[in-house]
Amino acid sequence: MIRVILLVAGLALAPSALAAGGDAAAWWAWPLALFTLSFLLGVLAVIAGVGGGVLFVPIVGSFFPFHLDFVRGAGLVLALAGTLAAAPTLLRSGLASLRLVLPLALAGSICSLAGALAGFALPVNVVQSALGLVILAVAVLVLITRGTDVVAIEPDAFGRLLGLNGEFNDHLQQRVQWRTRRTALGVAAFGGIGFIGGLFGLGAGWANVPALNLLMGAPLKLAVGTSGLAISIINSSAAWVYIGRGALLPAIAMPAILGVMLGSRLGAHLLHGMPSVAVRRIVIAVLAIAGARALLRGLGVWP
Amino acid sequence: MIAPASERDPQHTYARWLELGTRIVFAFGVLALALYLSGLVAPLIPLRDLPSLWTLPAAELLREAHAPSGWAWLRYLRYGDYLNVAAIAAFSLLSLVCLARVIRAFLRCGERVQALLAALQVLVLLAAALGAFPGAS
Repeated sequence: MIRVILLVAGLALAPSALAAGGDAAAWWAWPLALFTLSFLLGVLAVIAGVGGGVLFVPIVGSFFPFHLDFVRGAGLVLALAGTLAAAPTLLRSGLASLRLVLPLALAGSICSLAGALAGFALPVNVVQSALGLVILAVAVLVLITRGTDVVAIEPDAFGRLLGLNGEFNDHLQQRVQWRTRRTALGVAAFGGIGFIGGLFGLGAGWANVPALNLLMGAPLKLAVGTSGLAISIINSSAAWVYIGRGALLPAIAMPAILGVMLGSRLGAHLLHGMPSVAVRRIVIAVLAIAGARALLRGLGVWP
Repeated sequence: MIAPASERDPQHTYARWLELGTRIVFAFGVLALALYLSGLVAPLIPLRDLPSLWTLPAAELLREAHAPSGWAWLRYLRYGDYLNVAAIAAFSLLSLVCLARVIRAFLRCGERVQALLAALQVLVLLAAALGAFPGAS
């Protein structure tokens, strides 16, 4: 575990060494370092059960020389690309529900647009400090949240009106029926989560899954799959703000997308052989360090 | 094992369209990146200038590099970097196209509420894509 933390820290601090080299560092060294770090983050993210974006934005935003505008833009599209690729399989298996996503993504995408616009209107040090606080909160959330397979729940009238129920087969070939409760609260929660996602360029699976599972009563597997589908729609709306504002720099966004996606594929293969509890602890430690760094940088304590 | 969705289910239609679209856009994205980084298609912003530009806020970079904002990048598709922006824009369009496709599928199944929600979502994504809101670009 210590070796992995040292590797992540080394890769995160490599940009400082490159920056010290001044103009001698070739332009391609940065995208290459970004690709390598993104690859490692992709591996860790899958094993720890969090999205790559939540690690990417605070680490790259704190330790690389790129302006936060481009890091947020890259974080948003890497979450978008990853969830778009996974969604068809999840939909076919019934582990993601389009019917469940529609009302949640509608609220999320409108608020995500507002969040992306707010991100460009606010001073960068305010956004950086707020990002630090959010990432520290995510570290706590990942530490304390345990998913639960709630099945026998009483559906609410709003959920019945929207037809939010269904079924899927679990790994034991048992048919799991689901329905939702507290649907209006869930829609409101997705609005808030969408705003945060658009503001900081995060995928927000760390918040979607507890909202679906603990608040709305969706089974954990359905919550994970449906969260991905929701991100693929919600981030599509905020992405246009970043494109329109010129905040998607291909030299940053494309290596990050490829790195996280390839890393995620390797992570998925390694999933069964890795000590997920230990990796989860590493991710919590990395989130805490990156969150503290972003907060201190935003406050001007550690520029 | 997994329970297959019915062929006529709008969810299945959405999955089919999204899978096809994602494959096409991924292939386009990889090709665009290869053309850009290999220098086969010259970028608008020279690669060697990037380290001095990516430290700036996006608005300043656009000014310094005389780069386009909003949808004006469509006129710059002959440049490698904007070919990649096109790939990212294509990713952002996929959900809109798939949702537009399933509106009719929901109506055919008699699911009017779902059709309405899908139509509203298409309108939101369309407004976002067209920049039809204050401060879009």
